[in-house]
Amino acid sequence: MWYRFQYRYAPYLFVAPFIISFLIFGFYPIVRSIWLSFHLTAGPETSVFVGLDNYTVLLADTDFHKAVRNTVIFAFFSVFLQLPLSLGLAMLLNSRLILGRAFFRLGFFSPHLLGMVFVAILFAVVFAPRFGLLNVLLSHLGAPIERDWLGTPELVMPALVLTALWLYVGFNMVYFLAALQAVDRDLYDAAKVDGAGPWGQFLHVTLPGIKHVTVFVVVLSTIGSFQLFELPYLMLNNGPGPDQAGLTVVMYLYQNGFVTGDLGYASAIGWVLVLGVMCLAIFQLVLGGTLRRNP
Amino acid sequence: MSSAINRLKERMESFTAFGLAPAVLLVLTLISGVYIAFNPAQTIRGDLALWIFAKGHLAGYQESIARFEEMHPDLTVEIQLVHQHAITSRLRAALAANLDVPDLVEIEISWAGSFFRGPVDDVSFMDLRPWLEESGYIDKIVRTRFAPYSVGDRIFGIPHDVHPVMLAYRRDIFEAEGIDVDEIETWDQFIEIGKRLTRRGGTNPRYMIGLDPNSSDSFEVLLFQRGGAYFNERGELTIDDELVVQTLLWFIPLVAGPDRIGVNPGWGAPFARAVLDGYILCYITPDWRTKIIENDVGDASGKMALMPLPAFEPGGRRTSTWGGTMLGITRGTENPEKALELAEHLYLNHELLLEMFQKSNILPPLRDLWDDPVFDQPREFWSGQPLGRLYADLADDVPPQYSSPYVSITKAKMGQVISGLTAHYNRHGEDGFEEQVRQRLNEAADYVRGQMARNPF
Amino acid sequence: MSTQDSTDSSRDATSTDDVRGGTAQRMEIETNGPPPPQLPRVKVRSVPRARVLGLHVLLGVLLLLTLLPIAWLVTGALKLQEDLFAYTFLPEGWRIDRLTFSNIFRLFEEIPFFRVAANSMFVAGATVLIQLFFSSLGGFALAKYEFRGKRPIMILMLMTMMIPAQVMLAPLYQMIHHMGLMDSLAGLIVPSVVSVFGMFLFRQSMMQIPDELLQAGRIDGCSELGLYWNIVMPVSRPMIGAFCLIAFMGNWNSFLWPQIVLHTSDRFTLPIALTQQVGLYEQDYGVLLAGTLLSIVPVVILFLLLQREFISGLTAGAVKG
Repeated sequence: MWYRFQYRYAPYLFVAPFIISFLIFGFYPIVRSIWLSFHLTAGPETSVFVGLDNYTVLLADTDFHKAVRNTVIFAFFSVFLQLPLSLGLAMLLNSRLILGRAFFRLGFFSPHLLGMVFVAILFAVVFAPRFGLLNVLLSHLGAPIERDWLGTPELVMPALVLTALWLYVGFNMVYFLAALQAVDRDLYDAAKVDGAGPWGQFLHVTLPGIKHVTVFVVVLSTIGSFQLFELPYLMLNNGPGPDQAGLTVVMYLYQNGFVTGDLGYASAIGWVLVLGVMCLAIFQLVLGGTLRRNP
Repeated sequence: MSSAINRLKERMESFTAFGLAPAVLLVLTLISGVYIAFNPAQTIRGDLALWIFAKGHLAGYQESIARFEEMHPDLTVEIQLVHQHAITSRLRAALAANLDVPDLVEIEISWAGSFFRGPVDDVSFMDLRPWLEESGYIDKIVRTRFAPYSVGDRIFGIPHDVHPVMLAYRRDIFEAEGIDVDEIETWDQFIEIGKRLTRRGGTNPRYMIGLDPNSSDSFEVLLFQRGGAYFNERGELTIDDELVVQTLLWFIPLVAGPDRIGVNPGWGAPFARAVLDGYILCYITPDWRTKIIENDVGDASGKMALMPLPAFEPGGRRTSTWGGTMLGITRGTENPEKALELAEHLYLNHELLLEMFQKSNILPPLRDLWDDPVFDQPREFWSGQPLGRLYADLADDVPPQYSSPYVSITKAKMGQVISGLTAHYNRHGEDGFEEQVRQRLNEAADYVRGQMARNPF
Repeated sequence: MSTQDSTDSSRDATSTDDVRGGTAQRMEIETNGPPPPQLPRVKVRSVPRARVLGLHVLLGVLLLLTLLPIAWLVTGALKLQEDLFAYTFLPEGWRIDRLTFSNIFRLFEEIPFFRVAANSMFVAGATVLIQLFFSSLGGFALAKYEFRGKRPIMILMLMTMMIPAQVMLAPLYQMIHHMGLMDSLAGLIVPSVVSVFGMFLFRQSMMQIPDELLQAGRIDGCSELGLYWNIVMPVSRPMIGAFCLIAFMGNWNSFLWPQIVLHTSDRFTLPIALTQQVGLYEQDYGVLLAGTLLSIVPVVILFLLLQREFISGLTAGAVKG
């Protein structure tokens, strides 16, 4: 009997670990943080119900607007600059024509091996005026050597995007490399017979073949970009940087919740963030056809 | 199809059917698990728990705690070093849940105020004033150092330090340029010389002083020196006071515009290189930073020296303050008397404080101690100057920094004001500068007051 | 390059290089005898050398730029603190005599390196293995079954990924304490036995598996769990490798939560022990750099092992049977 019905029950069994772990570790913190977002708190014992006050104040908060703007810009570059580069790199390093692919793959992945605290120390070196690696490189192209990347409001975001490229291009490459292994090789031959050029083959064979994983990487990068906190915080010496050019939503949350101690306001920031990113992610999933029912 | 499945089944029988990575992970996990199982960790649970974030304190405290435990055989103390990036999160989580709260905890000056939010009776820390008065320590410790850790007349922390500020300068370059620092008494004189020594742009640029044009770090040190503050004694915001306006009008042209003599010194590598290359000649230097310079820029030994800050007015205050740490006792502690004894043992122990000075150059806040000869030792790195004496002579003059839960917001806002003004001054110079200063300060003040007004307590 | 391009226009451009390579690879795996005299092999040889060389040069330059910071780490770990910032890489004039291993010796004095590394290894390894099992199982269900509540589960997953960890910190702390897991390695492993990101990853990659393969398995009498174990997982090898690597690294470098849960220094993980060397008022960069250098070794080994999964056509062949 079990055998006949297992097809029906198996999926529930398979997702049960997630459900159980969510009920244990996710449910209470979520309820608690929603509760907090409707309260003003001070210290462990004091809290006052304020209704939607945290949210209305937040939506009018100019610093929050700045944080959202910075974060959206960063997310844009993550998805539209970083991911195409990752895919290109993966395709190149999947090719048998390249000698020493293992070496190249490891090399491009290697920035991600290092812990975040090290990255902070390092980037004081890379972006430093005068002798910083970046300025020394650019000075050969005629750029001023005294440029202070992390001290000039307009240059903070480019510096962040560059660092994120360095950190994550090789990282996302790994997903694409794994996905490319599952593309059916015969389809390329068929496409060639149909007269498809390299671009046509990419569009009609490669892309459909890695579509699902691409949707995953896009959604994950979006979510990850909106969680951006440690990287700018450490690069900008534990702060939002000049003119708050490196202030992100989660950094603002941290500043309010853990530095100032306003946990209610911090929770409200968290939930506004979840709501916004959720809309974006569902949009991406629908666009990728991922939420459709299987035939 | 079925042949394919058979083939897969065969593969399954090998250990690495899912690839090498999980197999290797399994082996490594088992090996490390066995290692851990055979070397069980020694859990140290003490009757008193102390959390600190500064690694430099650890060794000294451990020794001193061992002595403390000898004196109190019925008592054990556990000490936990928690990194600065985690200690506030952990302390806040612990306090919010009221679980695993330490008995004693060290807190950095810029976070301290945020732990004193809400009704003053609900603050999680013990009021130490009665004890400080009874024991007489309140008069022995530099009085202004209680300010950052006080709300009203309650004192929630014992200061660990004074952190007076001096200017560290490249003595060799100053001498080569024929400058006698003893003749520099005011900032006006200093700026005069600075304009002569600064070489902007070019292949070999040089600046008189390291000042951060984008954050409040350098500005606030100078503001405090001048008698200004972010908050007054009553906890009221004072960043739109005329003194702040005037200080900004003076500060910004030092770091922006065509006549600037200051540039951002940075930290870590940029800072060390600026010292070494003589890119920047003078640095705002509290006692703790002298050690960082000694460690990170060893090659500058004998080339550096210290001078008091130039005064704003002739005869004015020649120092300021930057940074600090307090030791607090949480209200929930089951052992308040023992906790106080331990606090006294760690923070007011002469031997330990002198050791701390020798290791970290940090001047202790106990005034009686300053007569000790260790403070007179000449330091080779600082061109033979008696570093301790120089800082001790200024320590009683250190300005107060009043606490508020909103200090960190205010700092962030001031940083924004400063970098905005720097950009404006670079672009437009004096043109409309003063209105900009007032307008931006007012906006910042409005913002902080708005946040403060939300607090119903 | 450009002249080569024009003479070569009849042949395929670079983006299909991998295709031919892949085909050749699969041929090797799938056929027992000598490869049939098909075109692919010939074609591989016929790609213009100048273009291949150009690609290598481009990749080489990019790699060099990527590795500059790593070079800073390696040289930094061997420098004295006073030289660390004074010279960007090596001391002036390649003064190798100014390099030192003292940082590495000091690392072993300052922290119980092997103990701490074993803690890290155990936590990261155990977490990843448990996560791998539960996440791939859950991902399989979401990819290949239709059932009630599937979409709400997806939405719930997305939401849990989006909630900033900082918001959950205090309540989670409370729960871990009440479960008696404070100051234990289990306190790090238990809350993360299911990786939502992993479930999502496996769901997306397993959607690629043809349903016919599963049907064939069912006809052969495979149970649903058997399908997962005998068919789905072996076919997902590249993604398993990628997941192991990425999840392992995330755990290996994790800092905030371990620092909050672990109290006893004997139980510390590597990032905690290493970051403690660099604080607000004093910094021991040498030990941090030496420790960082040593701590990337296991992940490098993992990466090199994983390489073996990235052989084009391996799974494609298996899927087609």
